[in-house]
Amino acid sequence: MIRLAFRNLFQNRTRLAISVGGVSLALLLILALDAIFTGVERQTTAFIDNSGADIFVAQKDVRNMHMASSSLPVTAIDEVKAIEGVEEVTAILYTGNMIVVGEERTLAYIIGLPEDAEMGVPWKIASGKEIPEAGEAIIDERVAQKSGIEIGDTVEILAREFKVVGFSEETTNIVNSIAFISASDFQAQRGNSGVVSYLLVRVKPGVGIEAVVSRIEQEVDGVTALPRASFSGQEARVVKDMSTDVLAIMNSIGVLIGLAVMALTVYTAVLSRRREFGVLKALGARNGHLYQAVLAQALMSVLLGFTIGLAFTLLISAVIPRLGLSMTLEISRASLIKVGIVSLVITAFSAILPIRQIAGLDPAIVFRGK
Amino acid sequence: MFLARRNLFQDKTRLALSIGGVALAVMLILIMDGFLAGMNRQITSYLDHSEGSIIVAQKGISNLLGATSLLPPRIESDAEAVDGVSEAIPILSQFIILDLHEKKQPVYLIGYDTEQGGGPWEIAEGRAPQTDDEVILDRVLAQRHDLALDDHIEVMGREFTIVGLSKGTTSWMTSFLFMRKSAAESLLRAPGAVSFLLVEPVSGQEGSEVVNRLNDIEGVNVLTKDEMKVNDIKLFARIFSAPLRLMIAIAFLVGIMVVGLVIYTATIERQREYGVLKAIGSSNRVLYGVVTAQALFASLAGSLTGILFAYGAADLIMALRPQFLIVFNPADMAWALAAGLGMALAAALFPARVIAGLAPAEVFRK
Repeated sequence: MIRLAFRNLFQNRTRLAISVGGVSLALLLILALDAIFTGVERQTTAFIDNSGADIFVAQKDVRNMHMASSSLPVTAIDEVKAIEGVEEVTAILYTGNMIVVGEERTLAYIIGLPEDAEMGVPWKIASGKEIPEAGEAIIDERVAQKSGIEIGDTVEILAREFKVVGFSEETTNIVNSIAFISASDFQAQRGNSGVVSYLLVRVKPGVGIEAVVSRIEQEVDGVTALPRASFSGQEARVVKDMSTDVLAIMNSIGVLIGLAVMALTVYTAVLSRRREFGVLKALGARNGHLYQAVLAQALMSVLLGFTIGLAFTLLISAVIPRLGLSMTLEISRASLIKVGIVSLVITAFSAILPIRQIAGLDPAIVFRGK
Repeated sequence: MFLARRNLFQDKTRLALSIGGVALAVMLILIMDGFLAGMNRQITSYLDHSEGSIIVAQKGISNLLGATSLLPPRIESDAEAVDGVSEAIPILSQFIILDLHEKKQPVYLIGYDTEQGGGPWEIAEGRAPQTDDEVILDRVLAQRHDLALDDHIEVMGREFTIVGLSKGTTSWMTSFLFMRKSAAESLLRAPGAVSFLLVEPVSGQEGSEVVNRLNDIEGVNVLTKDEMKVNDIKLFARIFSAPLRLMIAIAFLVGIMVVGLVIYTATIERQREYGVLKAIGSSNRVLYGVVTAQALFASLAGSLTGILFAYGAADLIMALRPQFLIVFNPADMAWALAAGLGMALAAALFPARVIAGLAPAEVFRK
């Protein structure tokens, strides 16, 4: 029966190409979207993951950075520093703004770094300086390439001009990038010197992070403290929670398309082999055997489609960064499992129509010369 | 034509599957389009309804929803002193994240002066905030999280009472949250801060001249509301257009494949009949006509069904997830029909090739 399925499948190449193509497109739709969002999640948490801090301290009830705003009084810096187990504190300033070069505007998160910053600095420098001084900015390499900026050129951030002194890597995503300027410039532009955004805290070696977190929350008023991993998890949740509904809709459309294409191809394949199935029935093949053949055929096309869809997703994720697009695709295990299940569902459903057809097939059909 | 119809209707299931396939593809294209149109409407809702026709933003900022804008101190009086300005309404705005029922919900916080304006344009229930611990929440967001008037919510460590529910202030990404400007200032620890000014020119004054005069103020970027709307739409379109276009392309390909497959198998099965037609002298062109007519019918029927599906699906999506807005324009329908037509023509290519390669003698061989 497997051989029959195999022969049925490969006998008509065009039909095979269409069915496999259709399924792979549908699965590609699901895989690629998942990969885009997983990539976005990874990119949005890059700053936090690479900050070098053990603990993030923010305004009370603020648990992430993306689309958020946090303001802490500068007095909080010394209060946190004084807490037992804290080794180092770097206060950063943070806001969403634009990098303007001529008519070109790019959304960017602006980070204001103190001169002696130990944490929160760009973690991968393509060229130039690592920490900006007054009047200087470090911007993302891809943004610079897109806007044709060289080291030493000027860009406009927070309504004033900065000299670009360094290019950072891994600091861009589909929505925006990160730019670093000095905390003093940031404060001057914002006109509010009594406020910082987040405190990045490193604990002393051998000291439990959780213990320090709870001490900070107990002893300092109006703050929320989180270990880096939780803070990063909360950041990823923002992307996830925003995209769940969209993903659900897109995924169901992908499933429907895959179903329609598969159902049609398996159906027409069985239809055109109706006589052969009739012969098999006349020869005494049981319905169960024929069902197996149909299912095997559907499964084979879906598996082929899955492989091709996955290969294309991998290809796209390899090509996109080379095109200079600020998008990263990342295929997660969860998404693979999901698409695997979807494929099986498609197989099962697409085989229903032809199976019903075979069940109703009269073995005598073969003798009628039809 | 008769032949085309007979060929097509001979197998009803296949016909239904092919129409269904095209309908799905067309529906997908329409929903994507409608989703984009709806998103654009949601994105510009504040600018569409708020006071004034000119926006003063921080230098370098040309969007409402893109970046945080902070205007220089005393901007309000500076702007009002400009010739031709009738009124300048300050707002303080910032994206923030609310934790509602363990879900991260980005909202666009607008602090406004209840006397001057800049707040919600339609309060469905309740009233405007009178104290600094009262807010107006978007009605759809409130519904989604079972929040009602007089309930309390935590915003950045502070407790607020919901005193009003606003209408037309939602989108799938963010909803609006309104509070008094003084409350927003203290929440963001930015006393006296102003993000944008909504400026109304004196009646009879040319808007563009007022824009030019306002642009003379140091550290600002002045735009008309229409310009800013276009910028906001562009900003979001840049983020969403690539994935959306990918989906539309996939839908289109699937449509071609489905129709192509159906017509192809219908043609293969009737290969002998086509051979007979050829043998008795029908030109290839007549046979192409038959195949194309089949493809056209399946695609058109599919497109029309797809339009119906799209309306149904849109209603369903909006009923289940009220934060989504899907808007169809008559132009979209024309596009869908054109897409169906395109699918038909592309799909007719496979079978036409089969027929062209058919030897009339084939029919006598069996």
